[in-house]
Parts: sequence; structure tokens; C-alpha cells
Amino acid sequence: MMKKIISIVFATFILSACYEDTSVTLHEPGVYKGKRDTQTMPAEEREALLKQRFNQVQTDR
Amino acid sequence: MARMKFLCDAERCIECNACVTACKNEHEVPWGINRRRVVTIDDGIPGEKSISVACMHCTDAPCQAVCPVDCFYTTDDGVVLHDKDICIGCGYCFYACPFGAPQYPQEGAFGARGKMDKCTFCAGGPEPDNSQAELDKYGRNRLAEGKLPLCAEMCSTKALLAGDGDIVADLFRSRVVRRGGRPDTWGWNTAYKD
Repeated sequence: MMKKIISIVFATFILSACYEDTSVTLHEPGVYKGKRDTQTMPAEEREALLKQRFNQVQTDR
Repeated sequence: MARMKFLCDAERCIECNACVTACKNEHEVPWGINRRRVVTIDDGIPGEKSISVACMHCTDAPCQAVCPVDCFYTTDDGVVLHDKDICIGCGYCFYACPFGAPQYPQEGAFGARGKMDKCTFCAGGPEPDNSQAELDKYGRNRLAEGKLPLCAEMCSTKALLAGDGDIVADLFRSRVVRRGGRPDTWGWNTAYKD
């Protein structure tokens, strides 16, 4: 009987070592501390221009 | 809002290294620093594949997450840039980056590292657009001129694509459909061959 209890306790101890933490460590980016990037062209205007450029030089011929 | 991305079509890349040369020449990148490089898998064996790799301007950039001085920022175009004035050259971003994009000039004795340098998607840095300071620290700002990165524009086989992720994905999808299948550069048969 004693042997059985010891083996159960031992098995429980061994199996508990198999625990795996599934939580993922997420590193959130901090707040940018450098100089502000001032763009000469508004983002929407640049987007349209770059789309036009893509169709001009990047598409398959 | 645009989300600028690079995509290299491994079926088209011929390992000519024109993208590497174009980048170095356009930004006057010093010796020892490669903002872009071509990686070849199974080099010399029939069926070898090459891809051109640089900063992929991750949407959730790990370099940005680990930077102890928070010198990274993402522009409205989704380009990941950094401020060299506050970079301390610690190298954390190098360890975090899965593409090996961050590069360091060796400055002085004992292997001391200088400020980190990486691909800017030809978008310069936080200095005023097309100023001398921006040119000296980060290279040309082609995006401010309405142009796309030179590496992609120079690519003779149009393997390297750069632009808004949605447009790039549409173009690549049409190529895959035209080829009548999917590329063999990833998948079970590639990862577990032999």
C-alpha cells in the first residue's frame, strides 16, 4: 500500500514537471523619443503618387 | 493608408545583385554595411533559389519593441525608420530582427559599434525631407520625391517588388495563377525533402 502511495506521489511530482507555460511574452513597443518626422507631402497624396509609380515601373510587361 | 512592403519572387530572382549595388550607390552606404543582400539556397545545385533580403518593415516590428531608447517609429506609409541621434548602438534590434537587417559600422578599437544603419525603404529619416543632414545620415529620400525604392525599380526581372502591400500581393497572386500553381520555395516538400 505504502509503495503504491509513494509511486502515485512520485508520478504526480514527475508529471507536474512537464507543465508548459503557454503564455507568450509580448514586448510592446515604447513611445518614440526621437525627432518628429515632418513630411513635405501629405500621406494621401504620396500614397496616390506611389501607386501611380508602381503601375508605371513595377508591373509585369 | 498605404502599408509599404517588399516582396521578392524567388522564381524570378537571378542573383545578379543589382539591387545590392543600386542600394549602396544610391545611399552611399559605407564599406562593411549591407542594407540589402541576396541569399541563395542550394547554391550551385540545379534548382537553386535566390531572394533579396533587407528590412521587411514589419507591421509589428520586433526591433521597435526591444529598443531600450525607443528610437524607432513607423511612418504613415508603414515604413519602419529610426533616429540615429538617439541610437546607442546596443545591438538589441540586431538580435530581435529575424532578417538580420540592422547593420553597425565598426567605430574605433575593440569592436565598438556605431549607430545602427538599415534599409529605410528609401524614405530617409526624421530629418527634414531631402536635407543634407538626412542624406548624410540615412541616404536619399525617394519616397518624398514620389519614387519607390531603387532596388526594386532597378530589378531587371521584376523579382523584387516594393510598394503598397495590397498591390504587391495582387501582382504576385496573378503571377502565381499564371504559373499554374504555387511556388516551391516553401511548404512540406521543401522543408522536409529527403
